Amino acid sequence: MSKLSFRARALDAAKPLPIYRNKDLPDLTDCVSINRAVPQMPTGMEKEEESEHHLQRAISAQQVFREKKESMVIPVPEAESNITYYDRLYKGEFRIPKQLIHIQPLGLDNELPDYDMDSEDETLLNRLNRKMELKPVQFETMMDRLEKASTNQLVTLQEAKLLLNEDDYLLKSVYDYWVRKRKNCRGPSLIPQIKQEKRDGSTNNDAYVAFRRRTEKMQTRKNRKNDEVSYEKMLKLRREFSRTMSILEMIKKREKSKRELLHLTLEVFEKRYQIGDFSGEILNEVTVPLAEKTIYPAPISLPMSNRHKAESKIKSHKPVPKHLHPFTVKPEPHFDFVHSHKKYNKRPKLDTFRQPVRPERQQTINKADIKQYDFHSSGEEDYPLSPASEPDEENDPDGIFAFRRKAGCSYHAPLVDQSCTPHWQQTGQDRLWQRNCLTALSVPRRCIAVARGRVGRGGRVVLDRTSSDLDRALRHLDPDMFYPSADSIVPDLPVHTNTNSHNSKSSPQRSLTQLLSDIQACRWKFFRPRPLQENSRGEDKKGTPQVEKGGAAPLSSSVSGGFTEEQFHSHQQQLVQMHKQLQQQELQQNSTAPELHTHVPNAVSSDCMSKTLDSASAHFAASAVVNTPNNENRPQIASVNGVLPNSGSFRQAKLNRSGGGGESGSLVRMTNSSNPQLAVPQSLPHGHGHLSTVSAVSPAHTHHSARLCAPSPSALKLASVASSLDRVPKVTPTSAIDIARENHEPERLALNGLSETTVAMEVT
Amino acid sequence: MADSSVEIIEGCRLPVLRKNQENEDEWPLAEILSVKDIPGRKLYYVHYIDFNKRLDEWVTPDRLDMKKLQFPKKEAKTPTKNGLSGSRPSSPERDVRKSLDLNVQSASAPSRGKTLPTPKRKAESVSLATQVTAATPVPSLPSSTEATQASVYPAMRDSSFSIKSREEHEQLTSLTTNGTTRRLIPAQPGRKRKNCGGTDEMVKVFQNNNPRCSTIYLPPGEDSQDSSDGIPSAPRMTGSLVSDRSHDDIVTRMKNIDCIELGRHRLKPWYFSPYPQELTALPILYLCEFCLKYLKSLKCLQRHLTKCNLRHPPGNEIYRKGTISFFEIDGRKNKTYSQNLCLLAKCFLDHKTLYYDTDPFLFYVMTEYDSKGFHIVGYFSKEKESTEDYNVACILTLPPYQRRGYGKLLIEFSYELSKVEGKTGTPEKPLSDLGLLSYRSYWSQTILEILMNLKSENGERPQITINEISEITSVKKEDVISTLQYLNLINYYKGQYILTLSEDIVEGHERAMQKRHLRIDPKCLHFTPKDWSKRGKW
Repeated sequence: MSKLSFRARALDAAKPLPIYRNKDLPDLTDCVSINRAVPQMPTGMEKEEESEHHLQRAISAQQVFREKKESMVIPVPEAESNITYYDRLYKGEFRIPKQLIHIQPLGLDNELPDYDMDSEDETLLNRLNRKMELKPVQFETMMDRLEKASTNQLVTLQEAKLLLNEDDYLLKSVYDYWVRKRKNCRGPSLIPQIKQEKRDGSTNNDAYVAFRRRTEKMQTRKNRKNDEVSYEKMLKLRREFSRTMSILEMIKKREKSKRELLHLTLEVFEKRYQIGDFSGEILNEVTVPLAEKTIYPAPISLPMSNRHKAESKIKSHKPVPKHLHPFTVKPEPHFDFVHSHKKYNKRPKLDTFRQPVRPERQQTINKADIKQYDFHSSGEEDYPLSPASEPDEENDPDGIFAFRRKAGCSYHAPLVDQSCTPHWQQTGQDRLWQRNCLTALSVPRRCIAVARGRVGRGGRVVLDRTSSDLDRALRHLDPDMFYPSADSIVPDLPVHTNTNSHNSKSSPQRSLTQLLSDIQACRWKFFRPRPLQENSRGEDKKGTPQVEKGGAAPLSSSVSGGFTEEQFHSHQQQLVQMHKQLQQQELQQNSTAPELHTHVPNAVSSDCMSKTLDSASAHFAASAVVNTPNNENRPQIASVNGVLPNSGSFRQAKLNRSGGGGESGSLVRMTNSSNPQLAVPQSLPHGHGHLSTVSAVSPAHTHHSARLCAPSPSALKLASVASSLDRVPKVTPTSAIDIARENHEPERLALNGLSETTVAMEVT
Repeated sequence: MADSSVEIIEGCRLPVLRKNQENEDEWPLAEILSVKDIPGRKLYYVHYIDFNKRLDEWVTPDRLDMKKLQFPKKEAKTPTKNGLSGSRPSSPERDVRKSLDLNVQSASAPSRGKTLPTPKRKAESVSLATQVTAATPVPSLPSSTEATQASVYPAMRDSSFSIKSREEHEQLTSLTTNGTTRRLIPAQPGRKRKNCGGTDEMVKVFQNNNPRCSTIYLPPGEDSQDSSDGIPSAPRMTGSLVSDRSHDDIVTRMKNIDCIELGRHRLKPWYFSPYPQELTALPILYLCEFCLKYLKSLKCLQRHLTKCNLRHPPGNEIYRKGTISFFEIDGRKNKTYSQNLCLLAKCFLDHKTLYYDTDPFLFYVMTEYDSKGFHIVGYFSKEKESTEDYNVACILTLPPYQRRGYGKLLIEFSYELSKVEGKTGTPEKPLSDLGLLSYRSYWSQTILEILMNLKSENGERPQITINEISEITSVKKEDVISTLQYLNLINYYKGQYILTLSEDIVEGHERAMQKRHLRIDPKCLHFTPKDWSKRGKW
């Protein structure tokens, strides 16, 4: 054997190897087997097996003979291929399709049971089939369900009944059979299954456990360990992204349903308008079951998103939503006048009037009368988020009443420029009395000392109680003092009046239709009476001009001008008219007897009490009178009022019902706090206080200012007092507006950033 | 022949009668793996030493040559502890081997000296391991109890080793109860192990320290411990072949299914397969020929067939020529079928692991069409993403179709896929004996085909690089080289390497190619490789 006299170079896979036939190499013997020079390649077998007898024999045979010899083949256990019943077992033929077979990912599951009947089952089936028809598949399905519903414990017969939904005899027989069979079964299940791994790792070594899940581990290339780290980071990223995705999806879904709700609400409202359901009975009838479930009363929403938390709030609200100023209503002298004065060109539609006096308990108000949507003020840059995207909105108790921007509306910041009015500089008691008044509840009938009422977000009446050293004494005041006449019942709410409810048939006045057309022609979308507070003047019910203040209602763009007295007047008429209609409707109703009545005390002019107005009507009256010294609408008011004593209770009841809460409102009586007994003294000595009180009379202010909501009666009172004092001449309507605004600006702001003194009233 | 006075227990070795292929009687040495009592007599499950496990069988006592019975090596006899604590780690091995050899020599069976690999490597790790072992309290069993060692063992090992770290375990696996170090002996020079760690160093360490695979054909006492190395450690997650035999226990070493009926065929399983345990007692396990669902009785199969309307593997047909078709099945999308296929395949593949799910694999099922449908002939599985250039994980021709060229067809198809992918590939290791023969045969024929068809250009001698062969065939370079070596084609001549084709090689090749009728026609392949790495998860 020739030996390598030199060291062979390594075999280079990239180097061409010339190919020789042995016959071309006469000096073949000079060839050196280089097998030792080339690294021996592994066979890839387990070493021990490589040495197996048959393999070695086969390999050597191959090397010797270059061909397999029958005897040199590795022996294997035999296999037979002569199943005679094959054709009976596999029935039918399968024609080969011309195209390559392509399996559709779907459509494989046709819900056939995994359980396969055995001959034992067949016996049972045959037996059962004597009494009923039971198909094998049916039987298998039953067994399958029983099997799959059972874990370690068998399903009970009861569960089986639910599971199978078969008739009792069949169910029982199959169930019993199954239980028996299952107990005799050697395996864990009648459907043989591969053993599953257990999580505790106890099956790690169990040979019968197969197809374990792989822990997710990246197959990284060799020598790239950091791949794994980045891979995990990417996994994490991916997880987080997908979480984001799902959150966004949910937000989208939510917003869609919110939009849907809005549309539906609008639709409901329009429908109600069309069928004249102003008081909400129809709606109530339809929604009675729902109403019972309603836990919170549907509050009247305010045009502004007034959401304040106050101690005496009836419903606990979520703290101020983001887009609102977190003002508290405590009588703090300073407010954060953040926003520059902006005028509202348009107000969002406000289709409702609020209840000036809200009962302390759940006061329910007809939803439909309510404008459910609050709107952002566009001037509130602090809260740029649209409500739609607020993540916490789901928790917002306002729900549908949450403020929503309306397309095409521009929203402005509250008016703040005139806010610093002298009366804020007052201190001590003065201020206390100025902003609060002596308040009594009708139910329970007691005096709650100094407080002020306001309409909170959603129209809830909020009483902010203030402590003073007089409290103790005040508590013991006879609440009846506030009710000069026991009969005087103030019909609560003329609620629905304005917004969409221009009942054409009920508006006999030419001026109303004219107004309407005017408004439409001018594209005035909103009718916003502007309160004129200054010259409130008591008005006798009999028609003596009571009030010297009027809510001038500038239409859309104009703040102070634009709206003629005539228009306003006609609008007032319209309101009154609607109010009247309402009352008449209510009278006609057979309403459930309300327990509580809203009494508006009129401490001063007791003669007015017979026709005590609810705050709303008081507003109407007052504002109407203010602007119309002539008596044009007085008769109507009178008539309205005239109805009231009779209808008050009904209306109350009805309102309650319509609110869905069914709770009767308790009366809140407030007198101007500066003088517990009389509003007059306050109004007189403190012009501002007086004005502010009066301002409550204006619809606008009742909406906005906390104070106003409750005290409208006192405003009336004041008005009458004022009239009696003959202060009327001093104040022109316009100046009244200004003054009123001056006086109330801070308050408004305090009361949550009311941006305007006026209430938007949708006319169209 | 059986002497009832001597109890034959697991681990005993003795010559057992078996018929060879020429139907002659042979008395190869065999190991008793299990004993079972059936009414009237005892049956012994024997493994013929140096024969593949697939030939293991239950035998009656009359086939045992009781005269040459060797009991399992006694633990006390092995000089383990002394030897182990000694400073020369290698000596115990030698001692053990010598004594074993002596034992073996005394038997009439073919000397098993060759089965024991010579301890080429005395790795440093051995000494470490032995010392550790010595420190470990090793339950020493009296000889009488040794018979039950195998069965007792699992509990023992769990208690004694569960607290050990995995590395320790790997070192200790071979050293357990007997304390012999023999399992460290088997050097595994050629073995390509799949590394779990990914770095070459780790592979090396692993090879040095992991003695597991060596145990099967070792003498009785040692074998029984084999089941013992008890560290529950999951096999690597890639690939589907186990090179980690730590889970080898006596259960998996024995066939558990008697017979499988699949379509027209009755198959005798070769190896253990984890079919539901309650089905293993059946004389025949019935499989639906098309969906491969396992059923306990013919009646169940009948019922199943009324509901199963599959007439082909539930995948996309990506190749059809004549009656031969290939279906591609995604192990993630079609878990049930994939698992059923794996269970069936496991009956015929020793090293296949079903430890993990089938998600990362594609299954290519070769079928033969007849009027009843597409009958499964064989299959191979393939990792969707292989980090080690594997283009086949497991490959199997079902026994009824073996030795008819289908295996080579499967292999050829796997390389066609690699060609489409533009990669070279190699089968996952370890190969079985049949796998090695098949692959060698395929490689040889493929390479020889190229070499013999090379024409000399302008009078010069044709030449080719190994890389070129690899590119043309998609056979991985190492496999090309090993084939060239195996065929003895590479020679060093006048300062350079040359390939020489001898006459017998050429003739043999030509004869073989004449028999090779079944070929894959690349034109019939409709296959678009998917980039699984971009799909996130397999």
